Amino acid sequence: MANNQRNRVSNAIDSLITHLVPAGPHDDEPSVQERHDACFDLVRNIFERPGSPAISSDVNHASDLIKRKLIQSNPSQALRFSNLYTRLLSLPVLNQKWAILYLLYQLSDSPDPNEPPPLSPPKPPPSQQAALRPAEAERRSRALRASRASTAVPTPEEEVVQDAFAPGGLKKLPTEKPKRAQPAAAEERLQAQPPVDGTPRKAARDVSIKSTLLADNSNEFEPSEMGLLRDLPFTLQGLSSTTLPFAKDTVLKLPPTLPPPIVSLLHTLAEPSLLYRGLAFFVKSPAKGLLGQSLRAAINNELRSYLTLVATLEGQIRRALSALDETAPRGGIGKAGVTLKRCVVWTREATMGLRLMSLIAEESNTKHGGQLISMIHGFSTSHGDPVVAAFAERLLADVTRPFYDILRRWIYDGELSDPHLEFFVREQSPNDEDRKESKAKGQASVWNSKYEVVDAMVPSIITADFAQKVFLIGKSLNFIRHSCGDSQWVDAYSKTSSKQLCYGDTATLEAWIDEAYKTTMRRLMHLMSNRFHLFDHLQALKNYILLGQGDFIALLMESLAANLDRPAFAQYRHTLTAQLEHAIRGSNAQYDSEEVLRRLDARMLQLSHGDIGWDCFTLEYKIDAPVDVVVTEWGNRQYLKVFNFLWRVKRVEFALSSTWRKCMTGARGVLQTSDEQVLQTWKSTRGVLAEMVHFVGQLQYYILFEVIESSWTELQNNIRKEDCTLDDLITEHTKYLTAITHKGLLGARRRQFHDALKDQARDPADPASSATTEDRNSYMVQLSELLRTMLAYRDCVDGLYSWSLSDFTRRQEADAVHLMHRNKKAKLSNPNPSATAAAAGLDMDDPFTTSAGGAGSLRSELPALQERLGQLGASFKARLQILLGDLAYQPDVDMRFLGVSMNFNDVYQPVKRKRPAAAAAAAGGGSTAAQGQGQAAATANTSRA
Amino acid sequence: MPPNERAEKQAAAQQAVDILHEIATILNCHLDRRTLSICISMIENGVNPEALANVIKELRKQGQEAQLESATAAAAIAGASTRRR
Repeated sequence: MANNQRNRVSNAIDSLITHLVPAGPHDDEPSVQERHDACFDLVRNIFERPGSPAISSDVNHASDLIKRKLIQSNPSQALRFSNLYTRLLSLPVLNQKWAILYLLYQLSDSPDPNEPPPLSPPKPPPSQQAALRPAEAERRSRALRASRASTAVPTPEEEVVQDAFAPGGLKKLPTEKPKRAQPAAAEERLQAQPPVDGTPRKAARDVSIKSTLLADNSNEFEPSEMGLLRDLPFTLQGLSSTTLPFAKDTVLKLPPTLPPPIVSLLHTLAEPSLLYRGLAFFVKSPAKGLLGQSLRAAINNELRSYLTLVATLEGQIRRALSALDETAPRGGIGKAGVTLKRCVVWTREATMGLRLMSLIAEESNTKHGGQLISMIHGFSTSHGDPVVAAFAERLLADVTRPFYDILRRWIYDGELSDPHLEFFVREQSPNDEDRKESKAKGQASVWNSKYEVVDAMVPSIITADFAQKVFLIGKSLNFIRHSCGDSQWVDAYSKTSSKQLCYGDTATLEAWIDEAYKTTMRRLMHLMSNRFHLFDHLQALKNYILLGQGDFIALLMESLAANLDRPAFAQYRHTLTAQLEHAIRGSNAQYDSEEVLRRLDARMLQLSHGDIGWDCFTLEYKIDAPVDVVVTEWGNRQYLKVFNFLWRVKRVEFALSSTWRKCMTGARGVLQTSDEQVLQTWKSTRGVLAEMVHFVGQLQYYILFEVIESSWTELQNNIRKEDCTLDDLITEHTKYLTAITHKGLLGARRRQFHDALKDQARDPADPASSATTEDRNSYMVQLSELLRTMLAYRDCVDGLYSWSLSDFTRRQEADAVHLMHRNKKAKLSNPNPSATAAAAGLDMDDPFTTSAGGAGSLRSELPALQERLGQLGASFKARLQILLGDLAYQPDVDMRFLGVSMNFNDVYQPVKRKRPAAAAAAAGGGSTAAQGQGQAAATANTSRA
Repeated sequence: MPPNERAEKQAAAQQAVDILHEIATILNCHLDRRTLSICISMIENGVNPEALANVIKELRKQGQEAQLESATAAAAIAGASTRRR
């Protein structure tokens, strides 16, 4: 059996030899036989040699090798191979499939046997050599000498050719190579039969010669490519080696003896080495913050995978070097499959990564926190190269980890654990300029002054909207925990809903954050309305401070009136509080909750000399900790301002109506007189008084109903919404207060059309002066003037009343005296009818009356009173007309309406205030455009007039 | 061995050679069908594939040399003939 097998094998060898080494037509029989024998011996020798034990007789192993090779070189063929392979496996005939496959694998990419063999330089045809240029010929011979010196193999040229056709070389020209090879081979075969002319074959030979020359020429440098390859792994790891030392941190020194192509290759290879060195240094440098640390960690990870690549490369190089034939030219590197060029190709992708990382590392020095994330995110979203984008994306997942940790702590615990100030939410620094300013305005509160969003630090992975939401969530949680004292809820909440956040799934993240947002906001509003009675407080503020609770205010005023007429220093707190208590007990306010009532307090404002009680009295509603974020210090001041104004109006109304009552009751008794002049005075006085009562009534109606109630309804609508947040609440409340103070004629500046124009024209010039002029004209000032006038008038009326009263008593006395006289006279003489008539008239010029001097003085008071009353009445009317004139040109509809309701029957002529001529000149001088507008306005004025 | 079984086996072998030849083409082995079938039979008879690969490479080299020699000879003849002319 064994014999049989051997026979078969030798037969096969025979046929193989005859097939592969065909006998030339010119060879004679013995030489053919001789060659055949030699070949046979050679083959035998090879077979006798022990085969490498490394080959495992596994069919899969061989196919895997092939597949890997195909995927590397020609992926489209890999699939075809897989198909063929499965078909092969299903065939029953072959026993040694793996061996066949392995054979094919070994033979793969072998040179075409039909290709013309390269010309052996020792025996080129003379014509060919002559065709070469002398210089080239010389160089070639030098190269030959060198190669022959280094190698002593019998057929060095063969090796050289195989070098030139090494897999690397073939792969570079996958289509061109066979095309060029095939026709040449065909011609060769054609020419082989009739060997007449050498020209076509010469072309084929040219190719061979060139490749030979190329292979030879690249041979001549020191250190050799082998040495360079050996040192390359170290260089790639940033370590100095003998051939390629690092001169400095950023300088790699190349040996000066290398030829330019190799130098350029080494330049390419030096890039990753230097970048790696820089990055390794960067990774070891201390980080400024958590994000910096995570960036370093992420880069370190990437560097580790780079080192893995270098390790694989080193393994390849070592294997190749150990397999090298030391004696071959160029160390036979080409055959080993690992060359410097290859290394360049292999490290190319890694170089891209390193380049990007060093760019990021460099930029990260100046960036901080969120900006860092934005920067990397910028690479991942807006860089055109998908490789770079993917790389940055991967880097981002690691880098953002601390950011998301902070975010998680913030939105689930409400704690800002950000020691390096990298988050976009930041605690406000107390000496900030803005903060001081808002504190001065009284708008600062725990809610809006504790934290702030730093826009520059919002990373681009989240939108501004989203950042605002995140900010609100954390702020609310923090507020609930620290200001509302409800940390149990926060703890429970963070336990139940805390989730691990990480980069990537933006939609889920947004959903979570939305959910967190809703939960926190709901809780906060719940706390505010139920535990801290925010809405009750707002209602109470409206009832007591804005005089919504009429019976209470009326009672309070009544009981305090006598007290407050006294000077301010005679007011005592205990009396005030006692009266307040009395007012509460006596009105519906007693049914209000204790929580509200105990906050109500009456006190005196800071008194100045000459004030009376009315000027200083104020009611106060005390607001404490968590609610004061809504009703801020500023809000409190606004409330007080409105209260003081309303209190004054109320007081004037109270005074006027008490005087009116007095007059009305008096008119039926003590004021009855027959003096035409006095009657006339009283009539006009009552008229003016009625005007004033009308004015005050309209004013009160307007403020209480048109302004406060409507704003209140609006506020209620807005804050009772389902998704109302504390921020909304605060803004709405501020809006409410502003509306009240503005429409209530307290905050609004009198802003005429001209003034507005003027302001626009010379806005930056001197805003201070325009502000002062506006201040002087503000409604507040006008109204207090009006109120003062009314009070003075009322005093005057009281004076008139007392004069009338004293006049009346004097007349009564006079009557009594007269009666006595008459009685006496009647007793003494006959009654005089004319005397009774005289007595019924005025008794002024009765020379007998005892109070004649007093009567004279009383008489002289009347014109003074008349004059004063007339003066005050006229001034009231004038001021009112000015006010009406201003109101008529208000942009606000409600305020215009106030003017209309006060002057519904056109009793008053609203005065359009003329702009001072100086101001007109200034505005005209400002700019021609303004002048034009000013003139237009002036003509409009005149036409209106 | 019954004749139909034999024919079947031959067909299968033929198929195997087909497939392997295709693989060889994919891999750029430059093996023609005859060489391939010789190789298959050798391997089936227990020859080490690695050694066989070496043999084939070696033989190709020899063949090329032989060709070259014959070609130079032909060239020499051609040169001689031109010179003679």
